[in-house]
Amino acid sequence: MLALWRDRRVRDILSQVGVGLILVGLTVWFVLNASANLRQAGIASGFDFLGRTSGIEVAFVLTDYTARSSIYDLLVVGVVNTIVVSLLSIVAATLLGFLIGLARLSRHWLIATVAGVYVEIVRNIPLLVFVFFMYGGVLAALPGPRDSFIFFGISALNNRGFTIPVPVDGALMRLALLAVTLSIAAHVVLALVSKKRRDATGQGLPMGVIGAVLLVLFPLGALSFATLMSTWDIPQLRGFNFRGGFVLVPEFVALFLALVTYTAGFIAEIVRGGIASVPKGQLEAARALGLSPMTTLRLVTVPLALRVIVPPMTSQYLNVLKNSSFGAAIAYPEVVSLFMGSALVATGQAVEIIAITLAIYLAIGLAVSAFMNWYNARVALVTR
Amino acid sequence: MKTRVRFAAAFVAAMTLPAGAQSLAPSPTLDAVRARGHLECGVHIGLPGFSFANDRGEWAGLDVDFCRGLAAAIFGDPTKVRYTPTTVQQRWAVLQSGQVDLLSRNTTITFSRNATLGVNFVGINFYEGQTFIVRRAARVTKPAELDGATVCVAAGSTEERQAADWFAERNLKVTIINFQRNDDAISAYDSGRCDAYTAGVGALAGQRAKLRAPNDHVVMTELISNDPQGPVTRWGDERWQAIVRWTLNGMIAAENLGVTSANVDQMRTTSRNAEIRRLLGADGNFGQMLGLGNDWMVNVIKAVGNYGESYERTVGRGSALGLERGVNQLWTKGGLLFTPPFQ
Repeated sequence: MLALWRDRRVRDILSQVGVGLILVGLTVWFVLNASANLRQAGIASGFDFLGRTSGIEVAFVLTDYTARSSIYDLLVVGVVNTIVVSLLSIVAATLLGFLIGLARLSRHWLIATVAGVYVEIVRNIPLLVFVFFMYGGVLAALPGPRDSFIFFGISALNNRGFTIPVPVDGALMRLALLAVTLSIAAHVVLALVSKKRRDATGQGLPMGVIGAVLLVLFPLGALSFATLMSTWDIPQLRGFNFRGGFVLVPEFVALFLALVTYTAGFIAEIVRGGIASVPKGQLEAARALGLSPMTTLRLVTVPLALRVIVPPMTSQYLNVLKNSSFGAAIAYPEVVSLFMGSALVATGQAVEIIAITLAIYLAIGLAVSAFMNWYNARVALVTR
Repeated sequence: MKTRVRFAAAFVAAMTLPAGAQSLAPSPTLDAVRARGHLECGVHIGLPGFSFANDRGEWAGLDVDFCRGLAAAIFGDPTKVRYTPTTVQQRWAVLQSGQVDLLSRNTTITFSRNATLGVNFVGINFYEGQTFIVRRAARVTKPAELDGATVCVAAGSTEERQAADWFAERNLKVTIINFQRNDDAISAYDSGRCDAYTAGVGALAGQRAKLRAPNDHVVMTELISNDPQGPVTRWGDERWQAIVRWTLNGMIAAENLGVTSANVDQMRTTSRNAEIRRLLGADGNFGQMLGLGNDWMVNVIKAVGNYGESYERTVGRGSALGLERGVNQLWTKGGLLFTPPFQ
């Protein structure tokens, strides 16, 4: 027995099992204690409420939710809306942030100063102020339904949102989009095959022709076919507002703009720091080889800078995900607003709802982290 | 020896307690309020006429009056209240966790709230009904004419689901935008995001003042729901519930019996009506039965008046809201307000 205890491996395993048991025990105790207290106070507990009819109307729905769906479906609507606004904001903020970061390093005085002022202003204003500012700005800038901006006679922009036509039956359109995605994927695969063969034999595939067919002709054909074959629900001004079509609500636009402008300020600084960290010798070597400034940026600066840029970018992306909850302040129907707001008050089951919301943010956050770690491993310096 | 002294002390203490106190069921809430020295009252975050802090930070309104009256019933002093402003979302947690002793904040009594939230609705101090405020220029007069409109509403309110149900039932397509706070919903309506804002007719009368040009808007007269509102307590303290319920009933009874803040002292000494004498503690020991002083209702009426006085001062014709009594009139005068007898 003592001999076993002296074995370091056994000791390590035993202590880890011990800590694990204590953690599990504490969790079980918390849950039991909470449910006993709730029962004593006459407050309902458990997860049955997820199956109840929600009865809550939502203005921005990407699933087939209606007020007659369950509270679980309402949760799904919130999660989808959170993910959509976060992903789009992350992409746009990255692009804008890169531009501003590069601009700050520009030798042109005006460009560098404007970028510097932008970063300082954005980083020193609370996000909530941005959100309200954008919302007020978006609403103030747009006209009422009767004075809408009309585009091509089929879509309308007003302070109720941007209304665009949608196919009555989306199946054909979805099929076309899937086909286009597949054709783009096929092009990527063929390009890899072509490169491999050229490296081996010096003779690649005719990528020009393949690209023209797979990237231009086929997608155009498929989308035009789907467009012409579908019946379209075209928005029309009737009564208070445009009827029909899909509405991109101003809350979405305001939250998106706020997240992008705010996060871009931070990303710009990360990019600037990353580029500043590239050793001068590398750039001088590139210039000595006669590479043009653009080629130097593409082949030398960016790959080296990425190694510094990617890890802090992960935190920025996670911040965007969490900051999307500011949408609750302007009625953008994301998970905090719908689930922790409307559903929580309707059911009163705060403990369960807050636990579910935390778990959802954690799961999405871990997924973002996992992706960024994978990407980081790809761009990291490979030591041989 | 020691034990015997302690026993003797306990015996003496028990015998010298006021006669009524011995038979009382325990009320941890009342004990806590007494020990604390003030009442903790959960009110609306800011609703003119019901609970609103003026520019000196003093709370006033119909719901606030009830808190003041209850403090007077317990302490004989209506100022011994601390107000906790609560949003639509916070209110239940604040009550359930024991942060406040009761909610008195425009909260609609519903079945599922009563059944699942661990709360008791002890009475009705305002019969509210949901309606809409719209721009005069929109030229709509009835809720049914709102087909195609966008409506702003506070998320988690009864109005949110009631509006969805009402329009769905009539096959009308209405877009509902759910804001976390009433004030955000109103300012979004004001900035043109919505064609209408929906809330109770009493609440709208007060909130209308928050709009930039109140006269450009009209409150519809047709109601789409019946939303009785009143004070809320936690489960598990029946005597406290009785204190809150009978303080409200007492205010209504006082109006019915003609007892006002002006004549309460005179009524107490000269009235020959048995119910008035019991209500005001001239006969019997009704206050003590609840663990209060026998002059509890005298203090309430002196502090805030009877129900009618409180109504007229806060939301009625004596106020900026100028609401008629309507259904919030005594049952003897064609309204719905009713109290069981003080017997």
